[in-house]
Amino acid sequence: MRRLPLIVLLAALAATGARAQTREVRIDIAGSGRRMQLYCEAFETGRLPAGAPAARQADEVLAADLEQSAVFLVSRAWAGQPPFDVEAVTGGRWKVSGGQVTLEGEVRDFPARRPILSKVYRGPVADWRRLVHQFADDIVLQFTGEPGVAGTRIAFMVVEGRSKELWVMDLDGAGARSLTRDRSIALSPSWSPDGSLLAFSTYRDGGSPHLYVVPATGGKLYPVSVRPGLNTSPAYSPDGRELACTLSKDGNSEIYVLDARGGSPRRLTDNRAIDTSPCWSPTGREIAFTSDRSGLPQVHVMDRDGGNVRRLTYEVDYTDSPAWSPRGDLVAFVSRTSMGFDLYVCGAGGANARLVVSGGSNENPRWSPDGRHLVFASNREGPYALFVSDLDGRPPRKLDTGARTAMSPSWSPSPSHMATTVPTNASHSNPGGRP
Amino acid sequence: MRKTRALLFVAALAFAALFAAGCAKKAAEAPPTPPPAPPVVQPVTPESTPPPAPETPVPVPTVTAGDFTDVFFDLDSHALRDDAKLALDLAAKLLRDRVDVNITLEGHCDERGTVEYNQALGERRANAARDYLVNAGVSAGRIQTLSYGKERPFAEGHDESAWAQNRRAHFVLR
Repeated sequence: MRRLPLIVLLAALAATGARAQTREVRIDIAGSGRRMQLYCEAFETGRLPAGAPAARQADEVLAADLEQSAVFLVSRAWAGQPPFDVEAVTGGRWKVSGGQVTLEGEVRDFPARRPILSKVYRGPVADWRRLVHQFADDIVLQFTGEPGVAGTRIAFMVVEGRSKELWVMDLDGAGARSLTRDRSIALSPSWSPDGSLLAFSTYRDGGSPHLYVVPATGGKLYPVSVRPGLNTSPAYSPDGRELACTLSKDGNSEIYVLDARGGSPRRLTDNRAIDTSPCWSPTGREIAFTSDRSGLPQVHVMDRDGGNVRRLTYEVDYTDSPAWSPRGDLVAFVSRTSMGFDLYVCGAGGANARLVVSGGSNENPRWSPDGRHLVFASNREGPYALFVSDLDGRPPRKLDTGARTAMSPSWSPSPSHMATTVPTNASHSNPGGRP
Repeated sequence: MRKTRALLFVAALAFAALFAAGCAKKAAEAPPTPPPAPPVVQPVTPESTPPPAPETPVPVPTVTAGDFTDVFFDLDSHALRDDAKLALDLAAKLLRDRVDVNITLEGHCDERGTVEYNQALGERRANAARDYLVNAGVSAGRIQTLSYGKERPFAEGHDESAWAQNRRAHFVLR
């Protein structure tokens, strides 16, 4: 019965076609409308030493970044694609000297070719991909007012036999590496807001799952909650000072807030039902979570002190895995089907629930830091893999995890652009949980 | 008393076998209350080990995990079904007779829940089985609980028969 309004909404979406630009989509998701046409010309290069990006490599990285932004359509000049309907041209040049690489990125309007953006990026040769990502994100910033996410990373779990190891990789799949190698089960990663740490739940200690933290660049992991019973689903607060999580030390799964080192537990829920999967609003004033207090699991919202609990939405039944958008206006969640789970978003107040991804099972949605994309795990094309939806009705695209079976993704915060000659990001504060 | 229980158990086993056979032809569509899943481990058969007198427990040479029958659950539920209570009655008796045996009850779920919710649901299943044993006279200190959620399925399939196998509290000796 409750599904009826959804069916009506779906029918309406279907009727308007794949490029549906319903009013709510336009309001909610910037970049979901018309995509701007860019003409990517190859970077000019001199003679490049070993270790520098090969010809076409950097060009392809930039073009792919711009396509994945969900803001642009891209024509590749080097592939002979014509500059049809083009609004701007990207290009520039590479220089490599003394182990340092310099990328002079340029964007010009078309066909007049007047400069729109010109910026110089410098860094170690080994970091050339990062410089290209920064250029791509600055192009998105130039045209939308907000930087893109090409320089972000994804944390996820790789299934290896009966174990799950924590991995990180660049959004485009480069630089994939494992952060755990203990043949245990790691689950539910959460990035600290400065991108330096990952909290996760793991069975590595042999008994019930415990919360651990590991530097996102690799290194020694350390426990933050090893209380009796479940220590699961950690979520850093937006200021990085606290960790919301699920503990069952008092006999039943309840939501707690710990300080970032795992101390001073503050209990937020108190009932006989299961309460789990906490997720902060970007202001840190509210927490969405899953509770089966009225029967089946449903996403609820409460104030940060545990008060004012209300069910998020009545438009969809059996809801779980809430993820609050970084802009604060939307909550993504999953709803159970006969196949597994479908992916939905609704307004933060619970209205206007709409189906975003269906087919197969689609689980653990997490937002990109710019709120334009959702990453999730799905078996829609076979073994579990990571996919990104741009929330615009286009089919989700698969992330490159090197054919590894991957689950439980989490999108990093925006990177600080440390290698640029011009500082583009204010420095982030360290979280209290830094070792 | 004990004899009645043993008889009941035999009857339940026969009934479960009949029921399972009858259901084998059914479509993969999940029934609202699925039948008890066939036990994977061999229960103690009443014939080979007649129930000992309560006052003078006959020591069993070795107790293995195979002497316990896992406890199975309905979808989205941690309520103990009748077949679950039979299995737990048997386990309680075994544990009362052998006070040197300690156990871990592992809670498990089928794949139709999220990772995090299933971790919590699996814990409720393990706790429900533990609480029943404690009420039946087993010291709480001898029972640990642990939930794997959907991370350690017993059956790898994606249909009701696999799901029914995976919704369980599993006995492990320690």
